Amino acid sequence: MSETNKIKVEICLGTTCYVLGSFRLSALEEQLPPELKSKVDIVGCACLNVCHDRNYGNAPFVRIGERIVDNATVEKVIGVIQEIVSAGGTNE
Amino acid sequence: MPDNDVFVEMECCQLCHDGEDVCGDDYRFERLENENRHLAVLSDGLGSGIKANLLACMTTTMALEFIRSNMDVLLSAEIIMDTLPVCEVRRISYATFSIFDLQIGGKSRIIEMDNPPFIHLRNGNDLKVNRQSMVSERWPDRRVRLAEIYAIAGDRLIAFSDGVTQAGLGQPGNKFGWRREGALAFIQKAIEKDPAISARDLSQMVVMAARGQNKDNRCIDDISCMVIYLRKPRRMRLLTGPPFRADSDAAYADLVRNFDGKIVLSGGTTANIVSRELGRPLEVDMKLVMKAGSLPPPAKMKGVDLVTEGILTLTDVAQRLEADPPLTTPVPLVSKELIALFRASDEIEFVVGTKVNEAHQDPSLPVDLEIRRNIVRRLKHILETKYRKRVLLRYF
Repeated sequence: MSETNKIKVEICLGTTCYVLGSFRLSALEEQLPPELKSKVDIVGCACLNVCHDRNYGNAPFVRIGERIVDNATVEKVIGVIQEIVSAGGTNE
Repeated sequence: MPDNDVFVEMECCQLCHDGEDVCGDDYRFERLENENRHLAVLSDGLGSGIKANLLACMTTTMALEFIRSNMDVLLSAEIIMDTLPVCEVRRISYATFSIFDLQIGGKSRIIEMDNPPFIHLRNGNDLKVNRQSMVSERWPDRRVRLAEIYAIAGDRLIAFSDGVTQAGLGQPGNKFGWRREGALAFIQKAIEKDPAISARDLSQMVVMAARGQNKDNRCIDDISCMVIYLRKPRRMRLLTGPPFRADSDAAYADLVRNFDGKIVLSGGTTANIVSRELGRPLEVDMKLVMKAGSLPPPAKMKGVDLVTEGILTLTDVAQRLEADPPLTTPVPLVSKELIALFRASDEIEFVVGTKVNEAHQDPSLPVDLEIRRNIVRRLKHILETKYRKRVLLRYF
């Protein structure tokens, strides 16, 4: 799978997300099931700019492809990645 | 009008006599921006430890007060000598002093009593200084010397306590100590190697080298070196917070371009705006999170010296700059980098976007997030007062 076809996982390290625990998500890469490792590209990002948007839940936020995950935990993020993969989705 | 192209960097580095907790030398600095004057005082109290520190502190405090109010030189010296308590052991009241009253673009005065004579360096050359001697009738054995000089951009004025000139006294090949000549040669060599060496680095180098003259690297006296450097200011510009109006984003991001100095972006949204407007990608390395300590790690952007998270980082840095004695908690990576940039800059401009992130005001957040303007004002105050920086502030 080429880099561009990988699902991009962006972990928000903005202030709100950070104080609400996004730093714990740095363990995501290690805890990812082996079959998913080659399918995602995990990066940090400055601020997803959704923390003040009432349409979303609470921080921390992670963006997986185009999808915003609120109240993000390692387990929740892995769950969403699995969902996207089994639906045959990529970053495209 | 102050000349904005000359910045007077004033620093003093000290080492205590072995076994003492406080230094028996004291120094003070003050800027009188409106009068374009810069004051600096160094005093060496008799003996070492608390008693010496007390004598030195009394001297610097009085000297600064007198010089600020342009009091007569001899009268000032007499009052200082009259006031100092008499040492029980030596039966004299005594502390030396060097007082600098610097006027940029005008005549500067330097008043000295019993400290090693100050050095006036221009392009690395030791300029000859004419000194006028004055003797008080009440204190006939004390000689006060007054020098009048014209300091220009690039000049350095260096003063030290006798812990520098007498370093290594009695060591083989150094029978009379390091002396002014030894210190001067060392300083000239350091400047030759690095012509723009900061006052801070140079004063640190001199005291370390002075200690190195002593047997076993010991401090057998208090060692102080004060350096005053009339330099081209090292500039830094820090952008923090999104602009109040979204249509100002482009103008705001433009402040990052073509700036002659260090650029810092503090805040996720701030970094995103600049990244978008200038088309420069922002990179955040997740692997750094675990190594970064208790704050989000620095990110990378082309042409930017440091990208940090906003409020938490600025708050932590303000606390660390204010703390005396220094905080003992581990310094997060990003704070370390930002503090180093502040300390290596002379003129710091804060550009504060005043849009408030509502999410930060949520009372259920586990920490108090300060309003950006307040934390920047706090930084401005501490950088000006404790670190003697020139700080500019504008809102966007």
